[in-house]
Amino acid sequence: MYVRFPEGAAKRTDPAATTDVLYDAVIVGGGIAGAIIASRLSAAGKSVLILEAGPGEDLTLKGYEGYLDRFYSATSKDNQSPYPVVPNAPMPRGTDARRIFPGSPDASAYIVQSGPFATDTTYTRVLGGTTMHWEAKTPRMLPEDFRMRTLYGEGADWPLTYDDLAPYYNEAEREIGVSADVEDQTYLGVEFDEGYVFPMKGLPLSYLDQMVAKDVNGMPVELDGVTRELRVRPWPQGRNGIPNPAYNGGKGYVPQGAVSTYQVEVGGRCQGNNNCVPICPVQAKYNAGKTLAAALQSDLVHLVAQAVAYNVHIDEHTRRVTEIEYRHYDQPDSPGFTTLRARGRLFILAANAVENPRLMLASGLHGSSGLMGRNFMDHAYLLAWALLPEVAGTFRGTNCTGGITDLRGGRFRRHQAAFSVDIHNDGWGWARGAPMTDLIDLVDAGGRYGEALRQGLVDRVSRQLQLAFMVEVPANPSNRITVDPAFTDHLGNMRPILTYDIPDYTMRGVAYARQLSKRIFARLGAEDHTEYDPNFWGYAVYAGEGYEIRGGNHLAGTHMMGRDPSTSVVDADQRCWDYQNLYLVGGGSMPTVSTSNVTLTVAALCLRSAQAMLTQLDAESAAINITSKAAAQSRPQEVAR
Amino acid sequence: MTAHSFKEFLLLSVDLTAFEETDLLGTGLAHQYLAKVRDACGEGVVTALLGAHRAARADAAGDAESPDRTLLDRALRHRIFSDDRLGPVARNVIKLWYAGMWYGLPPEWTDCYEARTAAETSTVTAASYQEGLLWRAIAANPPGAKAPGYGSWAQPPRIEARYLKEATQ
Ligand SMILES: Cc1cc2nc3c(=O)[nH]c(=O)nc-3n(C[C@H](O)[C@H](O)[C@H](O)COP(=O)(O)OP(=O)(O)OC[C@H]3O[C@@H](n4cnc5c(N)ncnc54)[C@H](O)[C@@H]3O)c2cc1C
Ligand code: SF4
Repeated sequence: MYVRFPEGAAKRTDPAATTDVLYDAVIVGGGIAGAIIASRLSAAGKSVLILEAGPGEDLTLKGYEGYLDRFYSATSKDNQSPYPVVPNAPMPRGTDARRIFPGSPDASAYIVQSGPFATDTTYTRVLGGTTMHWEAKTPRMLPEDFRMRTLYGEGADWPLTYDDLAPYYNEAEREIGVSADVEDQTYLGVEFDEGYVFPMKGLPLSYLDQMVAKDVNGMPVELDGVTRELRVRPWPQGRNGIPNPAYNGGKGYVPQGAVSTYQVEVGGRCQGNNNCVPICPVQAKYNAGKTLAAALQSDLVHLVAQAVAYNVHIDEHTRRVTEIEYRHYDQPDSPGFTTLRARGRLFILAANAVENPRLMLASGLHGSSGLMGRNFMDHAYLLAWALLPEVAGTFRGTNCTGGITDLRGGRFRRHQAAFSVDIHNDGWGWARGAPMTDLIDLVDAGGRYGEALRQGLVDRVSRQLQLAFMVEVPANPSNRITVDPAFTDHLGNMRPILTYDIPDYTMRGVAYARQLSKRIFARLGAEDHTEYDPNFWGYAVYAGEGYEIRGGNHLAGTHMMGRDPSTSVVDADQRCWDYQNLYLVGGGSMPTVSTSNVTLTVAALCLRSAQAMLTQLDAESAAINITSKAAAQSRPQEVAR
Repeated sequence: MTAHSFKEFLLLSVDLTAFEETDLLGTGLAHQYLAKVRDACGEGVVTALLGAHRAARADAAGDAESPDRTLLDRALRHRIFSDDRLGPVARNVIKLWYAGMWYGLPPEWTDCYEARTAAETSTVTAASYQEGLLWRAIAANPPGAKAPGYGSWAQPPRIEARYLKEATQ
């Protein structure tokens, strides 16, 4: 399939004219969650308005090339480096994280962090959202992840089961375009429909993975009385591989290519650029622009970019949202903006697990359960790094092709957190800034040049092995997003304040992970170089040992779904218990983050919710009066600075 | 910028990087790199660096065409790498070729030799990152460019045997 991002689609809707339109649905956020819902509602003939905080030109060819150029030229190639700084719709950056000292929150960056634990977790506020720079690992959750409270007495149960979600996982794998093989992904209770195959065949394991597998496969691990054998397993990936002819009962699958340009050499198969984070140069990797481009082919989908939702207005009598007030800024950095309003039958917040509760709380909507913004979850990453005895050719392939998943589930979760393990094809890049730091060290401290430098580089870089343990963090109401009028951004929006601590349950998993890494390195004959710096912003001590803990970018929990309105914010359809026509969608709805990267599950949940929205739209056809008391005046304004 | 100093800069770069002249010219960036060093550190420093390299080569000149490696190594250490003014610049030239980036020199250096522009870390062009020799040295592609092709990562890296020596010792 080849869909091009329709030229001018981000500009074709006149914001001022939309204020008098009653849309079937108003969606806040043009990331994967918003894009999927927009595409499914419009396909069923419903009119949709997407409000996107970031600038909208980015998915055209020029825009995407601009991202690439900014990345190549950046002196710091951190994971937001391709994306423009937009003071009117700011975003967190991995390099923002600072050590937090008790009693003094760090307000130096967009997310105000009140600690006690600091995080470098990020998301991207551009059209297409955070999938512009995600890594695109797409594992399903395990069946047991939906029943954590019942099975292990930890975390919460979902109002849904794996089987409820399975058909939507299938559909999400089609939408994202997942490359994987069923035989590799069937483990720990994950099952697939009879005859199911993924849209594309699995990406081959890297040479580095294969070297690790030689020694790790078959390694026995005993935990909570159960012995299991480790194995290096390929990850399912949201990037284009070789289409599987058996897909869809033999009809096959046509990969979705680049949407911002004609497909000459771009948009095809993953070429192994090893740059999936922060940006795939050829769009082999899925980004939500692909879903948006398809949705915007329909005239029913309107998009207003540079539109930051500011306030959700409700009618206390009808218990319905009446309108969303937003600020439409003139230029990314200018203080000029116009206040506008969007009206619809349904309102869908798809701005992610930090921005959804931020907007609700800034609108004074704390939820009758008081849980809005609470139970913030993410993954806690622990890295361990070593040098293999032989050259493994590190720094080739996608960021990560293989990992170890055998400790994602099991009875031990009664006592300690589960984790999955990534084998990083980009060496010690994440832990220690390799390979540039190695180069600098060899030249400046090692006095190397010429042949000795070349040998030194191969010796130091091409043998690198970095394991990343992605450890689960259970829901805890005191880990939360709040707002405070004392902290606002340029446009006058209240900024998110994050209060976050890592529970002991997770730290037990972290400590176990470190022990396991030592065993793995010993089995490989690798030199362990792991050393945790007490001055690191995410340094955490547990049982006398210190660890560097990093953020996972897998935001969840802040508007948790449940069966009971007093202990959850949304129902299984992601519909807000308090307001009949309001949906809060995305990772925020997830009651457990468990050990899978969240986006495939977010996509599946949104595909499921789209059905509920269509049912609701068809059931509710009463006339809605769109002149409300709270209606904001549309007039140009300036932010007082 | 004279053609002569460009030639000398290339010769110096070959000794510093252990990549052949054709490889260096093949990046298309040699002229810009020389200009970068000049802009950052000033003409005087460049002249002195090239002069010191010429002298080192002379120290090492054997009878044959190519210099005596052991003598050259020693002369480079004595004349360039241990020199307060030239050492940091030579190391920066290496990093420029390998990373495509000029790393800011410390204030001690810039204050002493009155070349404040040298203190700023900057890329030369968007292309310079992609042409960094580091990636070739480890038989990888610069992340985000020069993609090696689907599945290539499953094969062993193509690193010349002589560079594997140290690793397998
Ligand atoms: C470095 C990195 C690597 C990752 N790797 C993986 C991975 O391998 N696998 C995986 O599953 N997940 C991964 N993730 C996470 C993944 O990117 C997110 O889970 C996913 O993109 C969330 O989608 P979303 O649509 O819910 O939110 P987002 O993608 O964040 O989209 C939200 C949208 O809403 C807009 N918005 C925000 N506030 C407002 C407002 N007030 N008004 C209007 N619009 C607004 C934003 O601009 C944005 O477009 C990664 C994330 C990062 C940062
Ligand atoms: S390895 Fe490269 S081509 Fe493949 S998805 Fe990542 S950046 Fe794109």
